[in-house]
Amino acid sequence: MVGRFPPSALVLGGLALALILVFMLLPLGVVVAASLTAGQFLTFPPQGLSFRWYGDVLASEAYLSSAWTSLKVATLVTIAATVIGTAAAIGLSRRRLPGRALLAGVFLSPLVLPSIIFGIGLLIVFSIWGNGPSLLALALGHTVLTMPYVVRTVAAVLADADPAIEEAARTMGAGPVDRLRFVVLPQAKGGILAGAFFAFNVSFDEAVIALFLRTPGVETLPMRIYGQLEFSPTPAVAAVSTLMILMTILVVVAIERSLGLRKVAT
Amino acid sequence: MPGAKGGQGLVEPIVLVTPGIALLFGAFLFPVGQILVLSVVPSGEELGAWSNFARFFADDYYLRVAWRTFRLSLLITAATALIGFPLAYAMARAPRWLAFLLLLLTVLPLMTSVVVRTFGWMMVLGRGGPVTDLLMLFGLSARSAVLLQTETGIVVAMVQVLLPFMVLTTLGVIAGIHPHLEEAARTMGAGFYRTLRHVVLPLSLPGLVSGSLLVFAISMSSFITPNLIGGVRLPVMASAIYQQAIHTLDWGFAAAQSTLLLIAVLGLLVPYLALMRRARV
Amino acid sequence: MTFLAIENVGKRFGHTTALDGVSLGIERGSFVALLGPSGCGKSTLLRIIAGLETPTFGRITVDGEDITRLPPERRRLAMMFQSYALLPHMTALENVRFPLRMQGREGAAEQRRRAMETLALVGLDHLAERLPREMSGGQQQRVALARAIIAEPRVLLLDEPLSNLDARLREDMQIELQALHRRLGLTTLFVTHDQEEALSLADRVVLLNQGRIDRDATADALYDDPGTAFAADFLGAANLVPVTVEATEDGHTAILEDGQRLQLASAPGPGPRQLVLRQEDITLADPSEPGLEATIEARIFLGTRVRYLVRLGDLRLRVLAPRHLQYPPGTPVRLQIDPANCRWSREGP
Repeated sequence: MVGRFPPSALVLGGLALALILVFMLLPLGVVVAASLTAGQFLTFPPQGLSFRWYGDVLASEAYLSSAWTSLKVATLVTIAATVIGTAAAIGLSRRRLPGRALLAGVFLSPLVLPSIIFGIGLLIVFSIWGNGPSLLALALGHTVLTMPYVVRTVAAVLADADPAIEEAARTMGAGPVDRLRFVVLPQAKGGILAGAFFAFNVSFDEAVIALFLRTPGVETLPMRIYGQLEFSPTPAVAAVSTLMILMTILVVVAIERSLGLRKVAT
Repeated sequence: MPGAKGGQGLVEPIVLVTPGIALLFGAFLFPVGQILVLSVVPSGEELGAWSNFARFFADDYYLRVAWRTFRLSLLITAATALIGFPLAYAMARAPRWLAFLLLLLTVLPLMTSVVVRTFGWMMVLGRGGPVTDLLMLFGLSARSAVLLQTETGIVVAMVQVLLPFMVLTTLGVIAGIHPHLEEAARTMGAGFYRTLRHVVLPLSLPGLVSGSLLVFAISMSSFITPNLIGGVRLPVMASAIYQQAIHTLDWGFAAAQSTLLLIAVLGLLVPYLALMRRARV
Repeated sequence: MTFLAIENVGKRFGHTTALDGVSLGIERGSFVALLGPSGCGKSTLLRIIAGLETPTFGRITVDGEDITRLPPERRRLAMMFQSYALLPHMTALENVRFPLRMQGREGAAEQRRRAMETLALVGLDHLAERLPREMSGGQQQRVALARAIIAEPRVLLLDEPLSNLDARLREDMQIELQALHRRLGLTTLFVTHDQEEALSLADRVVLLNQGRIDRDATADALYDDPGTAFAADFLGAANLVPVTVEATEDGHTAILEDGQRLQLASAPGPGPRQLVLRQEDITLADPSEPGLEATIEARIFLGTRVRYLVRLGDLRLRVLAPRHLQYPPGTPVRLQIDPANCRWSREGP
């Protein structure tokens, strides 16, 4: 493989790749480093090494309640988006469904519509017709936002599945429910898992809709960080951010295990 | 007999997609449609139906905000395309371990909360950050120079935030180019760079174009990063909308600006979706 | 007594016609091949019988019961798929048990016992706990076969049953399929594009062409006497020679297009005809011998024998000869044909 590339391309390319990687990882690395400071202020490079700010975060009522809010929302969202999205992806994978190309486009549209517009729309709707923003309102918004990820990963897996297997199950006497249970859901398993991890991650990290639907009672972790950043961030913010980066790494590993990053990414 | 495959025909798929469609209509299309309604309906008794739009186009401030948003988005898109193409090509053609590493290092930042990434850039670009140190080292900048609250700072941070979208969209297309095409070009006397220029680049164009449309659309409507990096001195359209909706509570005007933004973004996303469909299905 | 009856079945996909009114009666316990080139409609017919496609018109009955509108899961037929279609997350045993589980007539233990028994029948009881991906292609196919026969289907449908196997496994599987058929007496219908497979396995071959039945005969009869130009060409065993038959004082003579004459033993009467000559019924001889004048075009070594492509006027004939014959391309030869081996196409010229 490598023999196909001239030395100049390998050197230039290697250099460029290294620079790009530094560029991509720089902001994350700076956050992690700053969180380990022993000093009072947010600096880079950190002054001394300690985990004291992590202790601060874990003892902080405000951070813990935000984390709990984020976790509640993300869990609700993951369940709803995975169930609804999986069903939709299976339905969309059926050739006999009329207008499925158009429907698939509709199902993926929340991925590309600016969330600022969606966020203000939700705020207006819940203020006019409901009692204003709430945890459930935020969960509803996030479900819309994350469902397309589930639809996409499940549909990708089903597109690769051998349709003869379901036909074979039919000839062996399996009705619609048995086929879903014994053929389609096992076939879709990897996609369902990857989609669920995606949904959890997106909901846990999401900031724009959460910002619009923020009320004193419903402040997610990204919202609390955002609030701190508007004023004067302390190393504690870096510590929380590092914990969020760690969680993202876990999710990425889980997605790689369940379906493979390459498949999900492209 | 309905349905090509006999048996339960249409019932099953329709039952399966119904909850999703209900969710999309109730919680997505309805709120977005609400914005369109609110943008036209007059906010005060004495004002006409299109007064919110008239106000936008009459006010120099908002036009400047829109122009800044457009200009920065263009710069961000060009930069991501320039960096994204070689990265995507390397991902498609590198040995497995390297390709995976590159993919990992693209996906990991993508999946990290935008708030966290922006926080990182605030430290990098801010006073005492490594970029300022570097600029000083080369004598390019005086002590006080920080990129925080500059347009350059917004562009730098946004390129990092949006590069994964460009790379992954382009990778999808490049991965579909059979390596034999490049090998054939090489046997016909084209060098590596000429092969890139005459074979790979033209074939990757649909990916680059759809990636650019996507990146442009997202950066036009981005809020968190430009707002935190640019601050109040350099508002973009999204921050203006946020101001109207949350602080001024002028929903009609916020809705009108959202509608304009929506029209601009949809104008980009429709060709994007068409391109993606042709490239993949 | 017809067991499986296909009555004037047709299928159109949009503007293309896959099946154009096919009627076929199949006796209980017979082993029938649906043979034809790709796109001839044979797979569509098999899928219609299985219930996986709905016919545009026509009727299908099994044992007198009209099953045309019955969904596949209620037809009590079995189909073995070309890709085997094993459930990838289930062991061999669970795959074989699946049809019984869907029927739900026996308890789980009894279902497992029967599945094990059926696996033993195809010689795979020792691999019962393996997942499909842990088995070779041949083993997977045996699992698929066991799964197809376990529920005592009224008809066994096989879609290209040997196409995914290499040459040696293919022979094993042929023997196995025939033995199984003798033992269980299942009415079996299989689809193939390989004439050798059809002729060697089935006791009846239905040749399909462009959505219609071209020939329907026993394997022997079809080989000896293709009967139609398409059959002769598709089976590859025979040459078609357009001739004009003339009555003479000592019987009939065929006049070839280039004017050469061939004495006949019998003929269907004077006029233009299609003469069918099997490739092993033509003997090559030196130019000094009597026979039709021809030229060697190519010599293809086949192992035990040699195939010659021979130019006769504007025609190219295929001739199977013993391998010791050595005529290089370009050599003039004589073609000797025993009048007793001349057959006639049923169609016009």
